[in-house]
Amino acid sequence: MPNAFSIEMLTNYLLVGAALMALGMLGFLARRNLIVMFLSAEMMLQGVALTLVGFGRFHGNWTGQVFTIVILTVAACEASIALALILVLFNRKSSLDVSLWQEIREPGQPTIVEPDSAAEPEMAVAGPETYPHLLTAGVEPPHPTEAWAKRRD
Amino acid sequence: MDTLSQFDLINLFAVIVFGATGVYLLLPHSHGRANPALAHRIGYGLSSLAVVALLLFCRTTGVELVTKAFFYLFAFAAVGCAILTITSRDPIHSALWFAAVVLATSGLFLLTGAQFLAAGTVIVYAGAIIVTFLFVIMLAQKEGQAVYDRMARAPFLATLSSFLLLFGLVYSLLGIRSVPTQSSGGAGLSAPIYDRPVLSTIERLKNGKNQLTKNQILVLNRALPGLSELPEATGRKADGTHVAGLGATLYTEHLLTVELVGALLFAALIGAIAIAAPRPPIRPSTGNVSVAEAAPAGSRTS
Repeated sequence: MPNAFSIEMLTNYLLVGAALMALGMLGFLARRNLIVMFLSAEMMLQGVALTLVGFGRFHGNWTGQVFTIVILTVAACEASIALALILVLFNRKSSLDVSLWQEIREPGQPTIVEPDSAAEPEMAVAGPETYPHLLTAGVEPPHPTEAWAKRRD
Repeated sequence: MDTLSQFDLINLFAVIVFGATGVYLLLPHSHGRANPALAHRIGYGLSSLAVVALLLFCRTTGVELVTKAFFYLFAFAAVGCAILTITSRDPIHSALWFAAVVLATSGLFLLTGAQFLAAGTVIVYAGAIIVTFLFVIMLAQKEGQAVYDRMARAPFLATLSSFLLLFGLVYSLLGIRSVPTQSSGGAGLSAPIYDRPVLSTIERLKNGKNQLTKNQILVLNRALPGLSELPEATGRKADGTHVAGLGATLYTEHLLTVELVGALLFAALIGAIAIAAPRPPIRPSTGNVSVAEAAPAGSRTS
């Protein structure tokens, strides 16, 4: 029985893996939210795992899958440490913005401050804000309802 | 390196230019006086064009129709959801799209015959994504979108460098593929490197300069069982289940790897606890370093 996994099929897998890798790098470089940066790093690992599994299947041995198991474990370790770091950094500055931590770079590097005008305007959700209709339990306390019903008009 | 064909060059150009422009438009940043909704629509269109162009590189001759269809489905889902992961404004949406990337990748694993890995990836990353959800809910801003979620850091330079990387990778991959392959069987050392058969240790010893005696071959066969070969490659029938073969390889030939990975997990566990444990911040200026140590251990109730 010939090996059905040809060099062409391997190249397909490598192309998808390369795309995942490049997009993960883009997300890691460009996004400022710590959680999104963490997800981008995981995405790069996914691209590499795809590459390894493709190579293993092409060469007809288990080594690619074994190494992908190692990658899974490293991803789990990375997740635990990254989330612990995110927690600590959030406790210090009450923000997930990575740009607030520019002073821990090498000394002598200039601090990059981007004005808030470079931000995209906030997209409003169309329509009035709605809440689920709950059954009343007990006496409804007196409170104004118009204020939040019209907030997004 | 051989030159690429005309189609490949034009298609590569389309992938890089459309992809870079589309993702740049989709990344959160101010678009000047342009209408952001229109810019996003153009960005979505251009990036999906780029993903389709990337899939045009894929050749699936001699593959069953169902496998082909599922490969294209999963590949499109993986790359498309990856773009949406890095461009979503809301981190919750990012986590959801990343879950879709993981599912698509598991589908691709299944197509290569890596069932255990497909299941393992889904299980591990499902936990990771749920924890990420909890973190987003716990830490995210109460109202509206944060400023830093609406402003990418140097989006133009980041897009440029990432797509240059993608260009280099795809160009070299296509260059390898365009080399005419020799006859598939019995390729010698003159064949390109990917066309040479991968030899196990025992095969390399057998093909070496020194002829092995029968007894030596017997000893080698006992000492180095060819466990690491997939049953599909060797042509023999799969003995036992798929996971059994993977486990046999993992716990015989890669036993040291398993031990190392266990040690790594242990170190990461200790590291995570050491980093995230709540304690008063150490401020050298005020000199209250020893507050935590001065308190008796029993008094630190949490």
